Amino acid sequence: MPLAGPDVAAWRARLPAAFGAAPRTRLLRALAAAAFLAWLAWALVHFGVSPQRLWNGLGGLLAILRLMVPPSPGELWLDILQGLAESLAMAFLGTFVAALIAVPLGFLGAGNVVTAVLLRFSIRRLFDGFRGIDQLIWALAYVRAVGLGPLAGVLAIATADIAVLAKLYAEAIENVERRQVEGVAAAGGGWPERLRFGILPQVLPVMLAQALYFFESNTRSAAILGVVGAGGIGLQIAERIRVRHWDEVAFIILLMIAMVAAIDWASARLRRRLIGR
Amino acid sequence: MDAAGYAMLELQGLTRRFGATLAVDQVSLAVPAGQMLGIIGRSGAGKSTLLRLLNRLIEPTSGRILSEGREVTALRGRALRAWRRDCAMVFQQFNLVQRLDVLGNVLIGRLAHQHGLRRALVLLAGAFTAGERAMALAALERFGLLEVALQRAETLSGGQQQRVALCRALLQQPRLILADEPIASLDPANARVVMEALRQVNREEGITVLVNLHHLDTAREYCDRILAMQAGRVVFDGAPAALDAARVREIYGISEEEFAAEAAARAEAGRAAA
Repeated sequence: MPLAGPDVAAWRARLPAAFGAAPRTRLLRALAAAAFLAWLAWALVHFGVSPQRLWNGLGGLLAILRLMVPPSPGELWLDILQGLAESLAMAFLGTFVAALIAVPLGFLGAGNVVTAVLLRFSIRRLFDGFRGIDQLIWALAYVRAVGLGPLAGVLAIATADIAVLAKLYAEAIENVERRQVEGVAAAGGGWPERLRFGILPQVLPVMLAQALYFFESNTRSAAILGVVGAGGIGLQIAERIRVRHWDEVAFIILLMIAMVAAIDWASARLRRRLIGR
Repeated sequence: MDAAGYAMLELQGLTRRFGATLAVDQVSLAVPAGQMLGIIGRSGAGKSTLLRLLNRLIEPTSGRILSEGREVTALRGRALRAWRRDCAMVFQQFNLVQRLDVLGNVLIGRLAHQHGLRRALVLLAGAFTAGERAMALAALERFGLLEVALQRAETLSGGQQQRVALCRALLQQPRLILADEPIASLDPANARVVMEALRQVNREEGITVLVNLHHLDTAREYCDRILAMQAGRVVFDGAPAALDAARVREIYGISEEEFAAEAAARAEAGRAAA
């Protein structure tokens, strides 16, 4: 039976923490909740979010959707295919370069490999800094630096992903099982042997799997890069939106969905084989 | 048997098939209220499946379970939840929520007691009543766990975790406790504490206890009645004294020492897994 009256009071006196947070904590929690709600309300008011505007926007969206049906390849369908192929190639090259460079950087950033704290710390902060800059910003910069076209896109993808992959790789390396590395060391392996035969076999499948994820997501984001002139299918989309050929936009979108689904399927199979389940 | 002549549990031709294997094969028996029943057998004999069938964690292929005349195998929804509240389970691997504190784990035993608005409050805000919290603390104190009441379950040793699981079971205010190898993952000292606790709730609160064991000695020491299973069938059902060495050899084809050694090896594996 649940206890009652004096028994409860006795327990409450013995172990108050079991009956809920202290008044001070409760006050702080209430204040935090109030601050959060105030922030939310401020943002909604500041951006003029109203049911009216959302409703009208929905109408506009519906009009666009109606223009999209039926999807049509238009007359320049060869350009569309070429754009898609270019996007795919950009994503592949960019991810490949990023993954390649991220491997040594990952080792440098891993606490169980580089024991010099200051060096590792500065490398990690460098990763963090680079991660703060979005792909699109890099694309805008590279378009000015190397000119319009896919090269700018490849460089943007690579630069933006190096830091993220390096961080993920460093974490994978830090999670390796020590005993396997110890086995290599006990057999007389120096640090290059320990890296090559103790750590690499453990992390390589993880690294490849992560690179595959990035390839997949970059195929999607490579579409955006074209809008700022960095090559790929994005240019085709932007042009058609400008002249309101929504049926052709719909056609391109459908092709992109099919392409991403195909890559998703293929990379899932590859990952399963790599990780071995 | 109670006044109306019904048993606490009555199993009628209970059968469970997994693919080609019969895990539990035509088990029929009656358990009177207040009994402490030990179920022994080698691994794969169907002991766990039997207890899980009773709690309805798995469904029988055929056969019926009755409790005080009510057909347990026909229960659905709310009535099924009420049945599970009445027959508390204790697991070999404790099955505590590791990230919740000990008190929170024990209060899980009160979940099936909440209805309507209270249930919504508990789901949204964990709003158990002060009376229930005090009840949980009293249970924890009874098993020497008050000091760890506000720690996460994962910080506890195996023996402590199993005692927390027992507190959770008791907060359900069950009529029946189903303990599935409760001491297989514990060292001998903790195993004793847990078995004593089971016996205590059986004797003092009159809760019927069904406990799977793989130590014959333990079963003989604590149980009023022993059931031996082999390949899903009940091959012995009687008083502990009747299960002597000759009988064990007859049933399992090995000596009692070999049976014990096998159990010890399995217990070791269980501890390693825990």
